[in-house]
Amino acid sequence: MKVEAWVFLLVGVFFIPVATVYGFMVAWMEPVGFLALYLVSALCLMIGVYLYYTGNRIGPRPEDRVDAEVHEGSGEQGHFSPWSWWPLVLALACAAGFLGLAAGWWIFLVGAGLAVIGLIGWVYEYSRGDHAH
Amino acid sequence: MLAFYRHNVYVTTATHAPSTPAHPTLNRPNLVSVGTVVWLSSELMFFAGLFAMYFTLRSTAGGLWAEETAKLNFPFALVNTLILVSSSFSCQMGVFNAENLRPRRTGRLFQFSKWGMTEWFLLTFVLGAIFVAGQSTEYAMLTSEHITLNSNPYGSAFYITTGFHGLHVIGGLIAFLLIIGRAYAAKKFGHFEATSAIVTSYYWHFVDVVWIGLFLVIYVLK
Repeated sequence: MKVEAWVFLLVGVFFIPVATVYGFMVAWMEPVGFLALYLVSALCLMIGVYLYYTGNRIGPRPEDRVDAEVHEGSGEQGHFSPWSWWPLVLALACAAGFLGLAAGWWIFLVGAGLAVIGLIGWVYEYSRGDHAH
Repeated sequence: MLAFYRHNVYVTTATHAPSTPAHPTLNRPNLVSVGTVVWLSSELMFFAGLFAMYFTLRSTAGGLWAEETAKLNFPFALVNTLILVSSSFSCQMGVFNAENLRPRRTGRLFQFSKWGMTEWFLLTFVLGAIFVAGQSTEYAMLTSEHITLNSNPYGSAFYITTGFHGLHVIGGLIAFLLIIGRAYAAKKFGHFEATSAIVTSYYWHFVDVVWIGLFLVIYVLK
């Protein structure tokens, strides 16, 4: 994962002088610009450092090696839900919540209750019923 | 993990090529963890907007800042901060146990070294809840000194920055309850449960670090 890590680390390092130059040009009087630029640097360094340490921990993946075969990338990739109704429930709950802000607070309460059902349904979808393990 | 997929009637997995042995160790990054870190970096920019708002208002209303920050209770906020920071340590203890697939304690209740993930996360929940309660108390104290959301620019800056952080802490508390619930729901605590525990800890540490930044800006720098 060296390439991914360095892409983010170098962009992160790049923004430190950019923010500093910007700060001097506005005499440090305009805080939004240099603050945002420094934190863009922090954003990139945060991802870069995480990828760097993860890359060191797991070693080279097949896609990091020039002599890798396609089948070496097979096997477990992670846990993916093939489909789920719960995001739709949660989205409806959020829609009801915003409608409540505009039209009347009682609708907001309905939305809040539905959000609790949707959130719990989603989080526990693969811990119960057919998927209990 | 295999047991998890055996009972999962919908999820399909890619099969190994028959001529090669399965990889003995997991040699790819956990996608949930990478995704969480990328999302947290966007959260950083959300708080960047709040910091920018705070400093902009401060640069235009310096006199007001000197007057209003004198009303802050620094020792109270410091204790509250230390409570939140200590919750990050208890959270990390829970993560170490989750990584070793130890959801519950194996010893007696006050044998801390034998605690599992659930006990450490419950302690984290209590510490986080004390922090939120402390924040509410502080809001009440400041309101009694006539600093409110709509009193002046300082009130707006103070309540919006700390308020959004408080909402994040409350979100984290709900997440801890859901993760503890998953540990109880699982007959066999596996990587599925451990992964969600680990990414919740990433979020918690992030919110903790953001608070340290807010604390330094609001209570120390003033």
